[in-house]
Amino acid sequence: MEIHAREKDDIIIFDIEGEIRRSDVSDVTLHQLVKDQLDGGKRNILLNFRNVEFIDSFGVGEILASYISTHNLGGKLKIAKISKKLYLVFQVTMLTKVLEIFDDEELALQSFIAD
Amino acid sequence: MAKNLIFKILSPLVNVKPSELKVSLLLFSYFFLVIAPYNIIKSIRNASFLDELGYIWLPFAYLLTAVVIGFVVAFHSKIQVKISRYLLITFSLIFFLFTCLIFRIFSDYGWTGLPIIYWVWANVFIIVLNTQFWIIVNDILNPREFKRLSGFFISGGILGGIVGGGLAGLLAKTNVDYDLLYLAAGLLILCAFVVYLIYRWQKRLQTVERKEDKKGEEKSEIPSKPGFRDSLITVRKHKYLRLIATIVILTLVVSTLVDFQFNTVVEESKGGGLTRFFGFFNAGMMVIAFLLSLLMTSNLFKRYGVRLTLLLYPLVLLLCSLGIGVAASLFMAILIKGSDKSLSYSINRSARELLYIPISPDLKYKAMVFIDMFVDRFSKGIGGLILIPIIALSLPSYELYIRIVSVVASALIFGWIVFTTRVSREFVNTVKQKLSRKWERADQVIAEELDMDYTKLVFDTLESKDRSLDLYAMHLFDLMKQGRLTPELRDLIAYDTEDIKASSMGAFFEVDHTPMMQATDAPIHEDVLKKEIQEIMSLDVYQEVITDYVDKVLSEEGEEGEVAKMEVAKSIGFLEPSSPLVERLENLLLDESPDVSKYAIESVARLKKREYVPLLICKLHDPSIREDASSALEKYGIKIVGTLADYLGDEEEDIELRKIVASVLARIGTQETADFLLWELEENKRDLDTALIDALDRIRSEKPDIEFTKKIITTKTRQEIKTYYELFIEFAKTESEGKVEERLNILYRNMSRTMMNIFKLLGLIYPHEDIVKAHQNIQTGTKDSVAYAIESLDNTLHKEIRDALLPIIEDLSKEDRLKAFLALRKNLPKF
Repeated sequence: MEIHAREKDDIIIFDIEGEIRRSDVSDVTLHQLVKDQLDGGKRNILLNFRNVEFIDSFGVGEILASYISTHNLGGKLKIAKISKKLYLVFQVTMLTKVLEIFDDEELALQSFIAD
Repeated sequence: MAKNLIFKILSPLVNVKPSELKVSLLLFSYFFLVIAPYNIIKSIRNASFLDELGYIWLPFAYLLTAVVIGFVVAFHSKIQVKISRYLLITFSLIFFLFTCLIFRIFSDYGWTGLPIIYWVWANVFIIVLNTQFWIIVNDILNPREFKRLSGFFISGGILGGIVGGGLAGLLAKTNVDYDLLYLAAGLLILCAFVVYLIYRWQKRLQTVERKEDKKGEEKSEIPSKPGFRDSLITVRKHKYLRLIATIVILTLVVSTLVDFQFNTVVEESKGGGLTRFFGFFNAGMMVIAFLLSLLMTSNLFKRYGVRLTLLLYPLVLLLCSLGIGVAASLFMAILIKGSDKSLSYSINRSARELLYIPISPDLKYKAMVFIDMFVDRFSKGIGGLILIPIIALSLPSYELYIRIVSVVASALIFGWIVFTTRVSREFVNTVKQKLSRKWERADQVIAEELDMDYTKLVFDTLESKDRSLDLYAMHLFDLMKQGRLTPELRDLIAYDTEDIKASSMGAFFEVDHTPMMQATDAPIHEDVLKKEIQEIMSLDVYQEVITDYVDKVLSEEGEEGEVAKMEVAKSIGFLEPSSPLVERLENLLLDESPDVSKYAIESVARLKKREYVPLLICKLHDPSIREDASSALEKYGIKIVGTLADYLGDEEEDIELRKIVASVLARIGTQETADFLLWELEENKRDLDTALIDALDRIRSEKPDIEFTKKIITTKTRQEIKTYYELFIEFAKTESEGKVEERLNILYRNMSRTMMNIFKLLGLIYPHEDIVKAHQNIQTGTKDSVAYAIESLDNTLHKEIRDALLPIIEDLSKEDRLKAFLALRKNLPKF
């Protein structure tokens, strides 16, 4: 898994590539990267899943831990461009009730501004 | 330049900011120019009435005033709907200017009825102009600005009273001198000019705000103009407004009784020079009010809050009322009237106006029209009605009238005190209602919205499909065993049906649901399948055979061995805790593959074997399985709290591990875990503080019934507040030295974290919701919501904590904050 961060309109976008799996954990986890941005005063985080094929329960834990850290500081964490299959899993597990998920990045960015 | 000079002169006396200077001075002048002419008019009013008619007629004058005011209010309400606020005020000023001159002309004819008409007119004058002034104040200021600045512009009014009364005393040539009305008229012209300047300033401000609104800022409410009926209905509908109205009624009825006592004694004691006497008396009263307002009002609010400050006025009047009842002398009459008016113009005026601040502009405007204009005079009418039967007694001496009136006044003051206590309680509630919660604790939202175990199981089920069909089957069985193999999930799993078609797992998908594939065997019912698998697994022979297999797997290495170990780890979770196979979990837990460990952890959590707890705690080190280990430990619940507490308190353990243990204790969330976390907090190991405070906050959010030892919390709060001071002082120093931004960023982060800790700690001992709302609004609110948040804290926290915290959150300049911190750092009292 590779994660690249970029910034647009005070929104931090994490482009994630590969699979977020327990067996593929590097020294710095997604949650740690999000926390670093929060520590730096950023409050709007977008996870771009365009190149994510699948995630396991560890991946879900990372996303939710990032969501908790962001929201407890009054920030927003959203997700863009998840695959159809992954979206179905999110629906069945009701993750869609908690997480804000957008079809494309531009829509997600606009929603931050609208907030 | 001149602005700077005025600011330099004013800033040591008044807590005004440079941006507020202009409007503060304008409001000061406006109130000055309302009260100064009124004190001239009032001196002539009392002198002419007592001179021509005498105190016996006073109750009728009070009553008549009330009736006339009723009509004036109705007229005012009708007009204000049709014209702008600025035009209404200007027209009112022009009306009083001309009528002032008309009274001067008619005074030459010496009509007996003129003093009573003049009496009523003078009261209409002050009611209308005074109400209009406060409506403008309420439009412009928020509660914090009001608290800071009210003392200043009320002093303007009081100064106007001193100047007006003083001029009346100095310039009056006769017993009743109507010539002074020329002077009053001149002051009203100046007042109209000041109103114009305020209007111009407000218009400019609104233009700026409109521009900001376009940028996405919160829009301010624009109050609609209410009619009288609308105002009456509004007050009747709202408990808080009804309470304010009741207090105003009681205050003014008592004030009318005091006025009667005063005028009676003056008439009986004084010979001539009534205008001069009333002029100087009014001026003297205002001097006292001025000093009270300037030196005490802000301090009283700051030190004692709204509740106690509101009680001061009735308590003083109760004492004076008992005093004049005992000795009806001119001294006592001056004392009671002096106390009444000086407190009314200073502390009571500020306190009463403050009560209106937390109401929405629309409601406030409606209520003020009714309360200040109608209730105010209606109360004078009630005072008149109370006095008429007393006058009708035809008592042999005026002292007896005074005594009876004192008894009645004391009884009313008692009621006034009771309602004051109630209204101040409602005030705090109303301020709190102005604050909305910006966000919930996200872990709480997730706990409410999601079933995390189920969510993880679904993801793992799908993931397992790529690993091995056996592992996949175990997951499906797990879902079925838990009754979670819902139709939606079956559809999801069948999203890619090729694998399923090729396997024997079609059976999982045919029960009570449209078959998604052609099954080769007869359908199997879920409960039958569950029972059969459980029975097989409990067979001794199964245990024997499978033990050999498990041991073989445990000795295997490589990718294939990893998947086999995952299957074994998963399947052991289906066994009974007494099964000998369960012992193999230790090896699986220690396996270097995080996937194997994860399945072993899950099985350990199911079986809840205590001997694995230390191993699970060790697993908290590993970020890839930390969450699984935390979740497993949470499932053990209360029975491992002691063990977790040992790790938490062990200074030789890794600090990061101890922080995670704190969060696991919070997830278990019992009184015992809270106590352990508090004890650790008391130990004062600073590295752990943030984790401990967050854990305690989580418990507080989820279990409001759990109690926290106040002493530990207050001590730690004080320590955190002091830390914040130190960080800010260092930040200011670093900034002034122009040091690297990196250091400033670290300090800034530490300050934010400390601030968060302070509020989380306060939330443990004060109403959690109130503290959270206040903190969230301070963090992200608009200027007004920050002000309400601070007002809410001001009324919630104990004095020592409040005094220490407010300099951190108040809107202060960097220099002022630094000065406050430097002073407080040395002398911060114990909480």
